[in-house]
Amino acid sequence: MYSEMAKKHADACRFCWMCRYLCPVGLATGKEVNTPRARGLLVSLDIRGQEFDESCAEAMYECCLCGACTHDCVTGYEPPIFIREARTKAVVNELVPAGVQTVIDSVLNNGNIFSRASSDIKEQLDRLVPDRKETAEVLFYIGGTALVKAPHIAEAVIRLFKCAGIDYTILADEPQSGTELGDLIGYVQEVVDSAKQLAEQINATKADKIVVLDPSCARVFKQEYPRWGCDLKGEVLTATAFIAQLIREKRLLPDKLSIANATFHDPCKLARDLDEVLPAREIIAAMGIEIKEMFLNKKMSKCCGTELLSQYSPVTGRLIAQRRWDDAVRCGAEVMITACPGCYDVLKSNAPEGKTVEDLFVLLAEACKA
Amino acid sequence: MKTKGLMTDIILSELEDVVGYENVSTKTSERLVYGVDYFWISRMWADRGLTPPRADYIVRPGSTEEVAAILKIANYYRIPVQVWGGGSGSQGGAIPVAGGILMDMKRMNRLIELDEESMTITCETGMIHQQLEWHANEKGYSLMHYPSCLTCCTVGGALAHRGAGILSTKYGKIDDMCVSMEVVLPNGDIINTLPVPRHAAGPDLTQIFIGSEGTLGVMTKATFKIFEMPEVRKFRAFLFKDMSTGLAACRDIMQKLKPSIMRLYDEAETVSIIKKVIGIDKKGAFMNLAYEGPAEVVKIEERIILDICAKYEAEDLGSEWGEKWYKNRITFFYPDHIMDLPQMFGTMDTAATYANLEKVYWAMKHAVEDNFPDVRFIAHCSHWYEWGAMIYDRFIMDNPPDDPEEAIRLHNRIWNAGVRAALANGGVINHHHGVGLKLSRLMKEQYGPAMQVFEALKKGLDPHGIMNPYKLGL
Repeated sequence: MYSEMAKKHADACRFCWMCRYLCPVGLATGKEVNTPRARGLLVSLDIRGQEFDESCAEAMYECCLCGACTHDCVTGYEPPIFIREARTKAVVNELVPAGVQTVIDSVLNNGNIFSRASSDIKEQLDRLVPDRKETAEVLFYIGGTALVKAPHIAEAVIRLFKCAGIDYTILADEPQSGTELGDLIGYVQEVVDSAKQLAEQINATKADKIVVLDPSCARVFKQEYPRWGCDLKGEVLTATAFIAQLIREKRLLPDKLSIANATFHDPCKLARDLDEVLPAREIIAAMGIEIKEMFLNKKMSKCCGTELLSQYSPVTGRLIAQRRWDDAVRCGAEVMITACPGCYDVLKSNAPEGKTVEDLFVLLAEACKA
Repeated sequence: MKTKGLMTDIILSELEDVVGYENVSTKTSERLVYGVDYFWISRMWADRGLTPPRADYIVRPGSTEEVAAILKIANYYRIPVQVWGGGSGSQGGAIPVAGGILMDMKRMNRLIELDEESMTITCETGMIHQQLEWHANEKGYSLMHYPSCLTCCTVGGALAHRGAGILSTKYGKIDDMCVSMEVVLPNGDIINTLPVPRHAAGPDLTQIFIGSEGTLGVMTKATFKIFEMPEVRKFRAFLFKDMSTGLAACRDIMQKLKPSIMRLYDEAETVSIIKKVIGIDKKGAFMNLAYEGPAEVVKIEERIILDICAKYEAEDLGSEWGEKWYKNRITFFYPDHIMDLPQMFGTMDTAATYANLEKVYWAMKHAVEDNFPDVRFIAHCSHWYEWGAMIYDRFIMDNPPDDPEEAIRLHNRIWNAGVRAALANGGVINHHHGVGLKLSRLMKEQYGPAMQVFEALKKGLDPHGIMNPYKLGL
């Protein structure tokens, strides 16, 4: 069931305690089973014939796949490799927790994790870009989280595109990128097949640049699609990198905004997987906002809980988000700026009284009067 | 003791009533993961596909009062209680071999106070030590407790086995750093030790619980010293012609100064682990050290250290290797860098006065190498005192027996030989990893009639023997 790669990584991690201090789930719940070594141990015991039941499957889903453990590992082991494969096993053996199954069904049936009808998504896309073109220089890939939970962020980016004179378009129905389905059921053929279909749709726009709002989608486009044989013709850029470049080129000229006591929460996928921590800070600086850095920032950023985990484990998701807010409050921040629709929604939903969350692009659109 | 039938559910309900439904578990996944800690035997057991020891109930208290209530229930039903922090202990101290309750403390992870006037920090004991260090760092301070398990042990775990970090030579072990603590006694009573660690109000209550490994109660809150970050921390490495010369030089240094790090590796470790991790390829006894504090003081310390090392004809390797060691100080403990299964291995850390130090080193080396031809022995000294030092002796066997029970017996024979050699020559059974299950049987040999003091404490505080059975020789 497990690949040789997964076995190797699980066997390395099962007796290594070193990265647990960074695991946002374990830190929030205090459960030993919510540590990378415990997940590795359960997989290694499964490989050696011990029982792997619903509770073991549940343990595999109580992980944000935030990559903090991987980033910390001096040797280069990656718990997400065996965790994803254990999730595949859970699906095959019908051990998936009920809450997770609901989310899987939603992605398979609707293309998003929120049980929102695909017709609603299409309607949202039509509303955002009523005069959608078939081809353009830039394809803007929004992602299901922004479309359902934070469409105003997508609107802000589109206003910035217009302000900078970008020739852009979006997909008519925007199929899911595979990031969430891959996290839920592993990198199985079904995920790869749907990714290939999406790649064809994206390529049909003839875009030179694919600007991706959701860092999770950007990661899967940049890192997994090549491995899956999905050939995206255009250059994949995160929205933060693309917009920061527009500012550098003076195609966007933001005014100064008056926001005091702000901090920036680095999205895990952006900071750790895509190695991108500066563009967001450049954008913030261009608006004249001085940020107070949290102690765990940039590549050491602590995950906020993720939109995906919060869908099927809302209690755990809330605990994790609260811990991130604790970090912000300790550094004296009253405003948390994010650059990810999922982080925005999760942190906003769990903001302590008197604290607010702002999206980077929404602020910039305001600063540019876009 | 294991509960059966409907009593299991009755007790489960009582525990849920204390900590909430979500904080009690009997799930397979949870019971499996608490059965394997850093102890070689527990890891070997899991590696061979055998079922780890399982607790009947996993319970996660969120407050001192909840700990107290759990212990009252356990006492009423006579259920064993094993306290779990990070599970990174190497002595099997947290393994639930007696079944019953496994109390995971990691929900109790709150920072209580950072007192910049008294230079102390107080927290709940379920906090991962690195988190506590970061809280101090956020304000510009440090606890200066940097053990290799910094990122994975809890504060309570460090206290439970009298841990030591790499800077202990200057700043002390955890027992020197702890100012006071709150403890829940086995009967559920909540007590506090005195607010300061130096007094003349009888024996030191705090020190009775530090190192008690969950056998006398549950430490729930603790206060530690914090320090300003040093203005300067400088590194230097030297190569001595052999371990004996290096030991003499280190003793000389300790009579005059207090370096923060001083690590002297024997010839075998110099050409194995040190070569592998930091890349130095030289024969002899490698030593790296650090000295820190105000720049002017450090400058003087450096001059004296250079003079002493020159006196013992050490090769001065400059700052590069010392810095490299410091940078890689945790690398040693990641997979592919540290010993791992299928190897059999163990760390027999001991301590002795300078008069006995070298005698203990050679006795342990001979006890292991002469009696077990397939076993390698390496050692270094890395925690130093005015009176002596710790020896971090390790044994490694590449091809242990396949049969797990035979492997355990051989493992224990090697341990018995090494530790008894230490005891016979003025050493102790352990310096900073604790006793746990691994060395429990040797406690009476170490203490002789003095063991009755611990036994009386155990009997008085835990008359039903529920607290961490079979550990610490109690």
